[in-house]
Amino acid sequence: MSIRNPGTIFTAPLIAVVGFLTVCPVAMLVLGSFSEGLGAFGTFTLAKYATAYTDPEFIRIILNTVIFTTGSAMVSTGLALFLAYLNNRSNIPFKFLFSIISIVPMMVPHILFAVSWVLLLNPTNGMINLFFRQALGWEGIVFSIYTLKGMILVEGLLDLPIAYLVIAPAMSSFDVSLEESSRVCGASNIRTLLRITLPVLRPAILAAVTLVIIRSMASFAVPSVIGMPGRIYVLATHIYRVVATGYAADYGLAAAIGMSALVASITLIFVYRRLTREGEKYVTVSSRGFHPTTIDLKGARYPLFGIVGLISFVLIVLPVAVLFYTSLVPYSMVPGVKAFAAMSWKHYIGVLKDPVSLISLKNSLLLGTGGASLGIVLSFFVAYTIVKIKTKASGFLESLSFLSFSFPGIVVGIGFMWFFVQTPLYSTIWALLVGYIATYLPYGIRPLTSAFVQIHGNLEESSRVCGGGALYTMRRIVLPLLVPGIVSGWILMATMFVRELSLSVVLSRPGTEVLAVQILRFSEDGLWGSLSALGIMMIFISTALVVIASFAGARLTSVKN
Amino acid sequence: MKRIFWGIVLALFMATGALAADQNQALADKAKVEGKVAFYANMTAIAPIMADFGKKYGVKAEYTRLSTTKFIATIMTEHAAGKLTADVLQAPVSVLQYLKDKGVLASYVSPSAAGYPKWANTDGKIQLFGIEYAALIYNRDLVKPADVPKTYQELTDPKWKGKIVMADPSTHATTISWLVGLNENVIKDDAKWMKFLKGLAANDPMFVASFGPTPAPIESGEKLIGISMPKYIITKAPAPLEWAHVSQPLMGSPRGIAITASAPHPNAARLFVDYWLSREAMNTLAIKVGEYVLTPGVYPPISGIDKAKVIPIRELSDQEIKSWGKEFKKIFARP
Repeated sequence: MSIRNPGTIFTAPLIAVVGFLTVCPVAMLVLGSFSEGLGAFGTFTLAKYATAYTDPEFIRIILNTVIFTTGSAMVSTGLALFLAYLNNRSNIPFKFLFSIISIVPMMVPHILFAVSWVLLLNPTNGMINLFFRQALGWEGIVFSIYTLKGMILVEGLLDLPIAYLVIAPAMSSFDVSLEESSRVCGASNIRTLLRITLPVLRPAILAAVTLVIIRSMASFAVPSVIGMPGRIYVLATHIYRVVATGYAADYGLAAAIGMSALVASITLIFVYRRLTREGEKYVTVSSRGFHPTTIDLKGARYPLFGIVGLISFVLIVLPVAVLFYTSLVPYSMVPGVKAFAAMSWKHYIGVLKDPVSLISLKNSLLLGTGGASLGIVLSFFVAYTIVKIKTKASGFLESLSFLSFSFPGIVVGIGFMWFFVQTPLYSTIWALLVGYIATYLPYGIRPLTSAFVQIHGNLEESSRVCGGGALYTMRRIVLPLLVPGIVSGWILMATMFVRELSLSVVLSRPGTEVLAVQILRFSEDGLWGSLSALGIMMIFISTALVVIASFAGARLTSVKN
Repeated sequence: MKRIFWGIVLALFMATGALAADQNQALADKAKVEGKVAFYANMTAIAPIMADFGKKYGVKAEYTRLSTTKFIATIMTEHAAGKLTADVLQAPVSVLQYLKDKGVLASYVSPSAAGYPKWANTDGKIQLFGIEYAALIYNRDLVKPADVPKTYQELTDPKWKGKIVMADPSTHATTISWLVGLNENVIKDDAKWMKFLKGLAANDPMFVASFGPTPAPIESGEKLIGISMPKYIITKAPAPLEWAHVSQPLMGSPRGIAITASAPHPNAARLFVDYWLSREAMNTLAIKVGEYVLTPGVYPPISGIDKAKVIPIRELSDQEIKSWGKEFKKIFARP
């Protein structure tokens, strides 16, 4: 054990744990993709790859996927930067609103969010389109949601929390002396932002872009609710179409197609590591003074707040309001006198009387809190190893953590089923817990790595020079500085677990029902009212979790000071 | 002599009746010892039937809902690992057929199915009990009575252009089978059928993934009419949905029920199937969920359904579904 890197002892066991969690389901999928028949085991064949990659439509689908994922990453990262900068670094009023607004989309079941946008922007009678037509006399379609642009907009918003929660901690632990030097040298605020702030934030920005691209590649809600009616297909919906045609769904073939997503993700992670290799460049929290100060927006304070307010209203408040509205009306109605007269709490009462919905509320709450807590502990060690112990093995560990995360959801669920059925965990709640942590590990690791990157090694060294042991240093020096990252990671994981669908739909059984599956059932039956009511309850649960986490984070940080 | 004869007949009749009741009681007793029954299916709102069964026999009925796309994958995975916990399965008949071929199903003919049509059980394993019927569903607030189609072919009228919603005919198995069924049962002339498909395609219908998302755009008025299911008139009440009373028959895929060969609770499984097929349970299914069931005289409370001719369509193999899907993809492609 070297004194410089006491963490090296973690590397091997961590690779074992993370590897076990993420490799097993993916290995089953690889087996399935090379096997004849419908299961994980069968005679070796390349036929599935041949079918998957000789499809003449495939090029078009890849092109759509590239536009969709990079577009979404641009939208969410751009918005996240804007919001995080104003929130952390400026004296804009009503700051508390920012963190709430940028996290809300994480709590809404994605399928509901997409449906809300269809109600707002469908070309026939979308509320916004109707408004422009009736109030302003515009002719024709103002904006059709059923386009690639519409898909990018909605997916970008849904992934905003991922980008925000990766960028915000980096923004808040920013060494302000860099910016001060810039200003002392005569640079304006804008110039400082472009030349100093953004470049220093590069690891966080790239991390956000990578994460959103990978996530939107695996996402299914937006491509199915918005893309399919517009006949725009991306990888996830292409896989669905392959699987859904006929009754004996071939998930081996689906896995073969999904391998392209896996390869793309691993390439992205590799590129990301190359681009941020010289980690030392981005270290901003060192032993010198560390006090992020705020920039006075002066006259721009309220106009800027107005812009943020408008963005949040149109992008987030409106769809959630639509959701709330849908939960009150008896069926999908265009708002009007008739709709308001028919409103009632019927759907809420129905849901609260439904025993399965109640079990699923309980299970999801349990999995959200328990899973995120365990997940963040694991993520902490993994992130530490990735950032502070720069060996080949730690790079390998980073790629490993993305394995099941980068598979399209409908495929990875089957991978876990094939794996868990071989273990006693099958059809227990533990299968869900382990599966969740394994799949969404990057949500814990990403915010923590971008926070770790900025903490200079000499802080730890000082502690150790003064006689602090490795664990003592971790507890007293590293951990407190990481609180914002930990809080972000916990929130991302907890809210993800509360609304997780891909794995749950395959692994949940009587007694282990969870919220998202119940919501899916309602949507399969076309019961939008009950679905929205349960969705609103889900938002409440997630909000409670976020508030508790932020409060705990704030307390820990203040103790530190 | 005559009196003696009738006496014997009566005695025999009573004896068989008593025997049947005895058998039923014996089955119920054994089922109670087993304690529970696991039911894998994909059906809406069947909780009342599960609860009634539990109350009546003291055997807990557990419902695992599996989406159609994951049904075979899940059952075969559990079956291969020797962990199939299901006692009773319910699914579209093609799915059960597949599982039967893989040896997953057991033989059982329930006494409750005595009054069912002959075609509803041909192999002693799969018992059909209902038809997942589809129809033209429209918004009764927005479509004038005079405009409501009286035949399927009227859907090709250009007045419906941009106003139709349907499940994707290149992938959705039920819709594919329905369109093929239309050719085999209703529009038997191939050229006329092709004309119907092309006319429908020319009206540029909006595609959704399955039947589930079809009623919402009709209710809200985003679209006016669709190829959907009459049961939504019940489950989505008071939404302004109505079915077009076409002069042609309604069609749908038959739904079946069967017991697994490896059922951990075999007696409870039989008792459950007996109860499921009983008039009592089928009545609940028809009234609460709007299902079309095969029990004679039981109809969903949808106006005109008791008069309508509802016929089962032929089950297509996966190969046929895939090749027809490809064909429909070409026909429905946007120019």
